[in-house]
Amino acid sequence: MSGVLSLIRVPALAFLGGFLVVGGWIWGPQLWRQVPGFSWGSSSSSFSSGGSWFGDANRIGRPEVAPVLRSCVTRMLDLGRAEKVDPSAVYSMLKAGSMQVSISALAGGPNALTGNRTTKFAAIWGELASCIYAQDDRELCDPDNRAAMVEASTKFFAFAKQAETSKPPISGSDAQVLSNFSDRLLNALKNHRHYGTLVSADFGNFPPTEIARIMGEEKQTSDICRKR
Amino acid sequence: MNLLKRLAFILGGIFVGANLINYYVLGNTADYLPDSVRMGQWKAAKIREACYPAFEVRERDGTLPQLTTNDHRVAWQDLSQTVTMTTALHCYLVTHPNAVCERNNRAYIVDYINRYFAKFDEMIDTAKRYGEAEITNVKNLWDSPRNRAITAALKQDAGNGRLIKADFGWTTPSAMKSIFDQHKGAADNCPGV
Repeated sequence: MSGVLSLIRVPALAFLGGFLVVGGWIWGPQLWRQVPGFSWGSSSSSFSSGGSWFGDANRIGRPEVAPVLRSCVTRMLDLGRAEKVDPSAVYSMLKAGSMQVSISALAGGPNALTGNRTTKFAAIWGELASCIYAQDDRELCDPDNRAAMVEASTKFFAFAKQAETSKPPISGSDAQVLSNFSDRLLNALKNHRHYGTLVSADFGNFPPTEIARIMGEEKQTSDICRKR
Repeated sequence: MNLLKRLAFILGGIFVGANLINYYVLGNTADYLPDSVRMGQWKAAKIREACYPAFEVRERDGTLPQLTTNDHRVAWQDLSQTVTMTTALHCYLVTHPNAVCERNNRAYIVDYINRYFAKFDEMIDTAKRYGEAEITNVKNLWDSPRNRAITAALKQDAGNGRLIKADFGWTTPSAMKSIFDQHKGAADNCPGV
Protein backbone atom coordinates (compact mmCIF):
# COMPACT_ATOMS: atom_id res chain seq x y z
CA MET A 1 0.00 0.00 0.00
CA SER A 2 2.77 2.39 1.00
CA GLY A 3 4.57 1.44 -2.22
CA VAL A 4 1.62 2.61 -4.30
CA LEU A 5 1.39 5.79 -2.29
CA SER A 6 5.06 6.60 -2.73
CA LEU A 7 4.70 5.84 -6.43
CA ILE A 8 1.92 8.31 -6.98
CA ARG A 9 3.00 10.93 -4.45
CA VAL A 10 5.51 12.79 -6.58
CA PRO A 11 3.46 12.78 -9.84
CA ALA A 12 0.36 13.73 -7.85
CA LEU A 13 2.19 16.66 -6.28
CA ALA A 14 3.55 17.70 -9.66
CA PHE A 15 0.07 17.48 -11.14
CA LEU A 16 -1.40 19.46 -8.25
CA GLY A 17 1.29 22.11 -8.59
CA GLY A 18 0.71 22.39 -12.33
CA PHE A 19 -3.03 22.51 -11.81
CA LEU A 20 -2.71 25.29 -9.24
CA VAL A 21 -0.51 27.37 -11.53
CA VAL A 22 -2.60 26.87 -14.68
CA GLY A 23 -5.91 26.90 -12.81
CA GLY A 24 -4.89 29.97 -10.85
CA TRP A 25 -4.01 31.74 -14.06
CA ILE A 26 -7.32 30.85 -15.70
CA TRP A 27 -9.78 30.78 -12.82
CA GLY A 28 -7.97 32.93 -10.24
CA PRO A 29 -9.73 36.11 -11.36
CA GLN A 30 -13.19 34.66 -10.94
CA LEU A 31 -12.32 33.32 -7.51
CA TRP A 32 -10.88 36.61 -6.32
CA ARG A 33 -13.95 38.41 -7.54
CA GLN A 34 -16.02 36.33 -5.12
CA VAL A 35 -14.07 37.78 -2.19
CA PRO A 36 -15.98 40.83 -0.95
CA GLY A 37 -13.97 44.03 -0.80
CA PHE A 38 -11.04 42.58 -2.67
CA SER A 39 -10.28 44.91 -5.50
CA TRP A 40 -7.71 42.79 -7.29
CA GLY A 41 -9.86 40.39 -9.18
CA SER A 42 -8.52 38.88 -12.31
CA SER A 43 -9.39 38.49 -15.89
CA SER A 44 -8.31 36.38 -18.75
CA SER A 45 -8.52 39.52 -20.81
CA SER A 46 -5.96 41.21 -18.60
CA PHE A 47 -3.46 38.70 -19.86
CA SER A 48 -2.67 40.99 -22.73
CA SER A 49 -3.31 44.24 -20.98
CA GLY A 50 0.19 44.90 -19.80
CA GLY A 51 -1.32 45.51 -16.42
CA SER A 52 -1.70 43.03 -13.65
CA TRP A 53 -1.84 39.33 -14.15
CA PHE A 54 -4.73 39.64 -11.78
CA GLY A 55 -6.22 42.95 -12.84
CA ASP A 56 -9.90 43.30 -12.00
CA ALA A 57 -12.05 42.05 -14.89
CA ASN A 58 -14.51 44.85 -14.25
CA ARG A 59 -11.79 47.50 -14.34
CA ILE A 60 -9.30 46.26 -16.90
CA GLY A 61 -10.65 45.19 -20.28
CA ARG A 62 -9.13 44.55 -23.69
CA PRO A 63 -6.89 47.45 -24.76
CA GLU A 64 -6.85 46.52 -28.46
CA VAL A 65 -10.57 47.28 -28.82
CA ALA A 66 -10.59 50.45 -26.73
CA PRO A 67 -12.74 53.16 -28.35
CA VAL A 68 -10.13 55.83 -27.51
CA LEU A 69 -7.74 54.16 -29.92
CA ARG A 70 -9.93 55.15 -32.87
CA SER A 71 -9.18 58.83 -32.48
CA CYS A 72 -5.69 58.48 -30.98
CA VAL A 73 -4.28 56.02 -33.51
CA THR A 74 -5.69 58.02 -36.41
CA ARG A 75 -4.19 61.18 -34.97
CA MET A 76 -0.81 59.58 -34.31
CA LEU A 77 -0.56 58.15 -37.79
CA ASP A 78 -1.75 61.44 -39.23
CA LEU A 79 -4.04 59.74 -41.71
CA GLY A 80 -6.54 61.59 -43.78
CA ARG A 81 -10.21 60.83 -43.31
CA ALA A 82 -10.29 58.82 -46.49
CA GLU A 83 -7.77 56.34 -45.13
CA LYS A 84 -9.41 53.39 -43.45
CA VAL A 85 -7.23 51.94 -40.75
CA ASP A 86 -8.09 49.38 -38.11
CA PRO A 87 -6.86 50.85 -34.79
CA SER A 88 -7.00 47.42 -33.24
CA ALA A 89 -4.53 46.11 -35.84
CA VAL A 90 -2.22 49.12 -35.48
CA TYR A 91 -2.23 48.71 -31.71
CA SER A 92 -1.36 45.02 -31.98
CA MET A 93 1.49 45.81 -34.35
CA LEU A 94 2.82 48.41 -31.94
CA LYS A 95 2.74 45.85 -29.16
CA ALA A 96 4.47 43.25 -31.30
CA GLY A 97 7.18 45.75 -32.27
CA SER A 98 7.67 46.72 -28.63
CA MET A 99 7.97 43.11 -27.64
CA GLN A 100 10.61 42.58 -30.30
CA VAL A 101 12.65 45.51 -29.00
CA SER A 102 12.35 44.29 -25.42
CA ILE A 103 13.44 40.79 -26.35
CA SER A 104 16.33 42.11 -28.41
CA ALA A 105 17.43 44.24 -25.46
CA LEU A 106 17.16 41.28 -23.10
CA ALA A 107 19.12 39.14 -25.51
CA GLY A 108 21.86 41.75 -25.56
CA GLY A 109 21.27 43.07 -29.07
CA PRO A 110 23.38 45.87 -30.53
CA ASN A 111 23.21 48.73 -28.04
CA ALA A 112 23.16 51.61 -30.48
CA LEU A 113 20.33 50.17 -32.49
CA THR A 114 18.38 49.05 -29.44
CA GLY A 115 18.81 52.42 -27.72
CA ASN A 116 17.57 54.24 -30.78
CA ARG A 117 14.55 52.01 -31.23
CA THR A 118 13.82 52.06 -27.52
CA THR A 119 13.62 55.87 -27.57
CA LYS A 120 11.34 55.67 -30.59
CA PHE A 121 9.02 53.21 -28.91
CA ALA A 122 9.03 55.19 -25.68
CA ALA A 123 7.98 58.27 -27.66
CA ILE A 124 5.20 56.37 -29.48
CA TRP A 125 3.77 54.94 -26.26
CA GLY A 126 4.15 58.31 -24.58
CA GLU A 127 2.24 59.99 -27.37
CA LEU A 128 -0.49 57.38 -27.25
CA ALA A 129 -0.80 57.69 -23.47
CA SER A 130 -0.88 61.49 -23.71
CA CYS A 131 -3.61 61.29 -26.33
CA ILE A 132 -5.71 58.96 -24.20
CA TYR A 133 -5.29 61.24 -21.17
CA ALA A 134 -6.34 64.21 -23.27
CA GLN A 135 -9.79 62.64 -23.79
CA ASP A 136 -12.64 63.30 -21.43
CA ASP A 137 -11.76 62.01 -17.95
CA ARG A 138 -14.78 59.74 -17.88
CA GLU A 139 -13.52 57.90 -20.95
CA LEU A 140 -11.26 56.00 -18.59
CA CYS A 141 -14.30 54.57 -16.80
CA ASP A 142 -14.57 52.19 -19.75
CA PRO A 143 -12.51 49.06 -18.88
CA ASP A 144 -11.07 48.79 -22.41
CA ASN A 145 -10.00 52.44 -22.45
CA ARG A 146 -8.55 52.04 -18.98
CA ALA A 147 -6.62 48.96 -20.11
CA ALA A 148 -5.20 50.88 -23.06
CA MET A 149 -4.21 53.71 -20.74
CA VAL A 150 -2.57 51.38 -18.25
CA GLU A 151 -0.66 49.58 -20.97
CA ALA A 152 0.44 52.74 -22.77
CA SER A 153 1.66 54.36 -19.53
CA THR A 154 3.39 51.23 -18.32
CA LYS A 155 5.14 50.67 -21.62
CA PHE A 156 6.16 54.31 -21.88
CA PHE A 157 7.87 54.28 -18.48
CA ALA A 158 9.49 50.91 -19.15
CA PHE A 159 10.94 52.08 -22.49
CA ALA A 160 11.91 55.49 -21.10
CA LYS A 161 13.88 53.80 -18.34
CA GLN A 162 15.53 51.50 -20.83
CA ALA A 163 16.39 54.47 -23.06
CA GLU A 164 17.91 56.37 -20.13
CA THR A 165 20.31 53.56 -19.37
CA SER A 166 21.16 52.74 -22.97
CA LYS A 167 24.73 52.94 -24.23
CA PRO A 168 25.68 55.17 -25.91
CA PRO A 169 23.38 57.58 -24.05
CA ILE A 170 20.46 59.08 -25.94
CA SER A 171 20.78 62.64 -27.21
CA GLY A 172 19.80 65.60 -25.06
CA SER A 173 16.84 66.46 -27.26
CA ASP A 174 15.53 62.89 -27.09
CA ALA A 175 15.93 62.90 -23.33
CA GLN A 176 14.00 66.17 -23.18
CA VAL A 177 11.15 64.75 -25.27
CA LEU A 178 10.86 61.72 -22.97
CA SER A 179 11.09 63.92 -19.91
CA ASN A 180 8.23 66.08 -21.19
CA PHE A 181 6.08 63.02 -21.81
CA SER A 182 6.95 61.71 -18.37
CA ASP A 183 5.95 64.96 -16.61
CA ARG A 184 2.70 65.17 -18.55
CA LEU A 185 1.79 61.55 -17.84
CA LEU A 186 2.63 61.72 -14.15
CA ASN A 187 0.48 64.82 -13.81
CA ALA A 188 -2.41 63.13 -15.58
CA LEU A 189 -1.92 60.00 -13.47
CA LYS A 190 -2.19 62.12 -10.34
CA ASN A 191 -5.49 63.58 -11.51
CA HIS A 192 -6.90 60.20 -12.41
CA ARG A 193 -5.78 58.80 -9.07
CA HIS A 194 -7.82 61.57 -7.42
CA TYR A 195 -10.82 60.91 -9.67
CA GLY A 196 -10.72 57.18 -8.94
CA THR A 197 -10.46 56.34 -12.62
CA LEU A 198 -7.10 54.67 -11.98
CA VAL A 199 -6.15 52.74 -8.87
CA SER A 200 -2.93 51.05 -7.90
CA ALA A 201 -4.24 47.56 -8.66
CA ASP A 202 -4.89 48.56 -12.29
CA PHE A 203 -1.14 48.60 -12.87
CA GLY A 204 -0.57 45.14 -11.51
CA ASN A 205 1.84 43.78 -9.00
CA PHE A 206 4.98 45.28 -10.51
CA PRO A 207 4.20 48.78 -11.82
CA PRO A 208 7.00 51.13 -12.87
CA THR A 209 8.40 52.96 -9.84
CA GLU A 210 7.12 56.37 -11.02
CA ILE A 211 3.56 55.05 -11.27
CA ALA A 212 3.82 53.13 -7.98
CA ARG A 213 4.96 56.31 -6.24
CA ILE A 214 2.03 58.36 -7.56
CA MET A 215 -0.45 55.64 -6.72
CA GLY A 216 1.00 55.32 -3.21
CA GLU A 217 1.36 59.02 -2.40
CA GLU A 218 -1.87 60.37 -3.86
CA LYS A 219 -5.31 59.63 -2.49
CA GLN A 220 -8.64 59.17 -4.20
CA THR A 221 -10.88 62.16 -3.55
CA SER A 222 -13.86 61.29 -5.73
CA ASP A 223 -15.26 58.56 -7.94
CA ILE A 224 -16.26 60.01 -11.26
CA CYS A 225 -17.12 56.56 -12.60
CA ARG A 226 -19.83 55.92 -10.06
CA LYS A 227 -23.20 55.65 -11.72
CA ARG A 228 -25.71 58.06 -10.35
CA MET B 1 6.99 -5.28 -10.06
CA ASN B 2 7.69 -1.88 -8.63
CA LEU B 3 9.73 -1.05 -11.71
CA LEU B 4 6.92 -2.20 -14.00
CA LYS B 5 4.44 -0.03 -12.15
CA ARG B 6 6.70 2.97 -12.47
CA LEU B 7 7.22 2.27 -16.15
CA ALA B 8 3.47 1.92 -16.73
CA PHE B 9 2.91 5.15 -14.88
CA ILE B 10 5.49 7.04 -16.92
CA LEU B 11 4.19 5.64 -20.22
CA GLY B 12 0.63 6.47 -19.18
CA GLY B 13 1.72 10.00 -18.33
CA ILE B 14 3.45 10.39 -21.67
CA PHE B 15 0.36 9.06 -23.49
CA VAL B 16 -2.06 11.35 -21.65
CA GLY B 17 0.31 14.34 -21.87
CA ALA B 18 0.95 13.85 -25.58
CA ASN B 19 -2.77 13.69 -26.28
CA LEU B 20 -3.50 16.77 -24.20
CA ILE B 21 -0.78 18.68 -26.06
CA ASN B 22 -2.07 17.42 -29.39
CA TYR B 23 -5.62 18.53 -28.60
CA TYR B 24 -5.15 21.77 -26.71
CA VAL B 25 -1.76 23.08 -27.85
CA LEU B 26 -1.39 21.82 -31.41
CA GLY B 27 -5.14 22.06 -31.97
CA ASN B 28 -5.43 18.76 -33.82
CA THR B 29 -8.99 18.31 -32.61
CA ALA B 30 -9.93 16.31 -35.70
CA ASP B 31 -7.79 13.43 -34.40
CA TYR B 32 -10.44 12.87 -31.75
CA LEU B 33 -13.49 12.71 -34.00
CA PRO B 34 -15.40 9.40 -33.99
CA ASP B 35 -13.73 6.59 -35.88
CA SER B 36 -16.22 5.13 -38.36
CA VAL B 37 -16.57 4.02 -41.96
CA ARG B 38 -17.91 7.47 -42.79
CA MET B 39 -14.86 9.29 -41.46
CA GLY B 40 -11.40 9.12 -42.97
CA GLN B 41 -8.09 10.84 -42.25
CA TRP B 42 -8.46 14.60 -42.00
CA LYS B 43 -4.82 15.09 -42.91
CA ALA B 44 -5.45 13.43 -46.28
CA ALA B 45 -8.39 15.71 -47.15
CA LYS B 46 -7.93 17.08 -50.66
CA ILE B 47 -10.58 19.77 -50.25
CA ARG B 48 -8.22 21.84 -48.14
CA GLU B 49 -5.80 22.41 -51.01
CA ALA B 50 -8.60 22.65 -53.55
CA CYS B 51 -9.92 25.68 -51.67
CA TYR B 52 -6.66 27.61 -51.41
CA PRO B 53 -7.62 29.82 -54.40
CA ALA B 54 -10.74 30.92 -52.52
CA PHE B 55 -8.53 32.85 -50.11
CA GLU B 56 -6.80 34.84 -52.80
CA VAL B 57 -9.40 37.49 -53.65
CA ARG B 58 -11.05 38.40 -50.40
CA GLU B 59 -10.71 42.17 -50.38
CA ARG B 60 -13.78 44.13 -51.34
CA ASP B 61 -15.92 41.02 -51.45
CA GLY B 62 -19.30 42.21 -50.27
CA THR B 63 -20.50 38.69 -49.56
CA LEU B 64 -17.95 38.12 -46.81
CA PRO B 65 -18.47 39.11 -43.18
CA GLN B 66 -17.88 42.77 -42.50
CA LEU B 67 -18.56 45.13 -39.65
CA THR B 68 -21.47 47.41 -40.32
CA THR B 69 -20.51 50.01 -37.73
CA ASN B 70 -17.39 51.65 -36.34
CA ASP B 71 -18.83 51.49 -32.86
CA HIS B 72 -17.82 47.94 -31.98
CA ARG B 73 -15.44 45.95 -29.77
CA VAL B 74 -14.41 43.30 -32.28
CA ALA B 75 -10.63 42.82 -32.33
CA TRP B 76 -9.01 42.64 -35.76
CA GLN B 77 -7.76 39.10 -35.08
CA ASP B 78 -11.34 37.96 -34.49
CA LEU B 79 -12.56 39.77 -37.59
CA SER B 80 -9.80 38.27 -39.69
CA GLN B 81 -10.51 34.79 -38.36
CA THR B 82 -14.22 35.19 -39.03
CA VAL B 83 -13.53 36.11 -42.66
CA THR B 84 -11.04 33.27 -43.08
CA MET B 85 -13.32 30.64 -41.58
CA THR B 86 -16.32 31.81 -43.56
CA THR B 87 -14.32 31.80 -46.80
CA ALA B 88 -13.04 28.30 -46.11
CA LEU B 89 -16.28 26.71 -44.98
CA HIS B 90 -18.17 28.34 -47.83
CA CYS B 91 -15.73 26.74 -50.24
CA TYR B 92 -15.93 23.33 -48.53
CA LEU B 93 -19.71 23.21 -48.37
CA VAL B 94 -21.14 25.55 -51.00
CA THR B 95 -18.58 25.78 -53.81
CA HIS B 96 -17.84 22.05 -53.56
CA PRO B 97 -21.11 20.53 -52.33
CA ASN B 98 -19.99 16.94 -52.97
CA ALA B 99 -16.68 17.30 -51.12
CA VAL B 100 -18.27 16.20 -47.86
CA CYS B 101 -19.11 12.82 -49.42
CA GLU B 102 -15.46 11.78 -49.47
CA ARG B 103 -14.38 10.22 -46.15
CA ASN B 104 -11.18 12.21 -45.63
CA ASN B 105 -12.83 15.46 -46.62
CA ARG B 106 -15.74 14.72 -44.30
CA ALA B 107 -13.41 14.33 -41.31
CA TYR B 108 -11.71 17.61 -42.13
CA ILE B 109 -14.96 19.49 -42.80
CA VAL B 110 -16.67 18.19 -39.65
CA ASP B 111 -13.74 19.46 -37.60
CA TYR B 112 -13.86 22.78 -39.41
CA ILE B 113 -17.59 23.12 -38.71
CA ASN B 114 -16.78 22.62 -35.02
CA ARG B 115 -14.17 25.36 -35.15
CA TYR B 116 -16.50 27.68 -37.05
CA PHE B 117 -19.25 27.47 -34.46
CA ALA B 118 -16.74 27.54 -31.57
CA LYS B 119 -15.38 30.85 -32.88
CA PHE B 120 -18.87 32.29 -33.17
CA ASP B 121 -19.73 31.19 -29.61
CA GLU B 122 -16.46 32.63 -28.31
CA MET B 123 -17.14 36.01 -29.94
CA ILE B 124 -20.71 36.07 -28.64
CA ASP B 125 -19.42 35.32 -25.13
CA THR B 126 -17.00 38.23 -25.37
CA ALA B 127 -19.73 40.51 -26.74
CA LYS B 128 -21.99 39.70 -23.79
CA ARG B 129 -19.69 41.79 -21.58
CA TYR B 130 -20.62 44.87 -23.60
CA GLY B 131 -24.36 44.38 -23.84
CA GLU B 132 -27.01 43.90 -26.48
CA ALA B 133 -25.59 46.33 -29.02
CA GLU B 134 -22.30 44.45 -29.22
CA ILE B 135 -24.06 41.08 -29.42
CA THR B 136 -26.00 42.47 -32.38
CA ASN B 137 -22.73 43.65 -33.97
CA VAL B 138 -21.28 40.15 -33.74
CA LYS B 139 -24.48 38.52 -34.99
CA ASN B 140 -24.57 40.91 -37.93
CA LEU B 141 -20.93 40.15 -38.67
CA TRP B 142 -21.72 36.44 -38.84
CA ASP B 143 -24.78 37.01 -41.00
CA SER B 144 -23.13 37.81 -44.32
CA PRO B 145 -24.48 36.25 -47.52
CA ARG B 146 -21.75 33.61 -47.30
CA ASN B 147 -22.61 32.76 -43.70
CA ARG B 148 -26.23 32.36 -44.69
CA ALA B 149 -25.20 30.14 -47.60
CA ILE B 150 -23.16 28.00 -45.17
CA THR B 151 -26.15 27.62 -42.86
CA ALA B 152 -28.34 26.63 -45.79
CA ALA B 153 -25.74 24.11 -46.98
CA LEU B 154 -25.47 22.61 -43.50
CA LYS B 155 -29.24 22.19 -43.34
CA GLN B 156 -29.22 20.59 -46.75
CA ASP B 157 -26.35 18.25 -45.87
CA ALA B 158 -28.11 17.22 -42.68
CA GLY B 159 -31.37 16.78 -44.59
CA ASN B 160 -29.85 14.47 -47.16
CA GLY B 161 -27.70 12.50 -44.74
CA ARG B 162 -24.36 13.74 -45.96
CA LEU B 163 -23.66 14.89 -42.43
CA ILE B 164 -25.10 13.06 -39.44
CA LYS B 165 -24.89 13.67 -35.71
CA ALA B 166 -22.65 10.64 -35.22
CA ASP B 167 -19.99 12.26 -37.43
CA PHE B 168 -19.50 14.89 -34.75
CA GLY B 169 -19.54 12.53 -31.76
CA TRP B 170 -19.47 14.31 -28.44
CA THR B 171 -18.35 17.57 -30.02
CA THR B 172 -21.59 18.38 -31.88
CA PRO B 173 -22.04 22.18 -31.80
CA SER B 174 -25.35 23.27 -30.30
CA ALA B 175 -26.32 25.00 -33.54
CA MET B 176 -25.88 21.71 -35.39
CA LYS B 177 -27.78 19.70 -32.78
CA SER B 178 -31.03 21.49 -33.57
CA ILE B 179 -30.46 20.97 -37.31
CA PHE B 180 -29.82 17.25 -36.82
CA ASP B 181 -32.88 16.94 -34.60
CA GLN B 182 -35.00 18.14 -37.50
CA HIS B 183 -33.50 15.58 -39.87
CA LYS B 184 -33.24 12.40 -37.83
CA GLY B 185 -32.71 9.24 -39.87
CA ALA B 186 -32.03 11.00 -43.18
CA ALA B 187 -30.47 8.59 -45.70
CA ASP B 188 -27.11 9.48 -47.20
CA ASN B 189 -27.64 10.62 -50.81
CA CYS B 190 -23.97 11.00 -51.67
CA PRO B 191 -23.16 9.85 -55.19
CA GLY B 192 -21.99 6.24 -55.14
CA VAL B 193 -23.39 5.42 -51.69
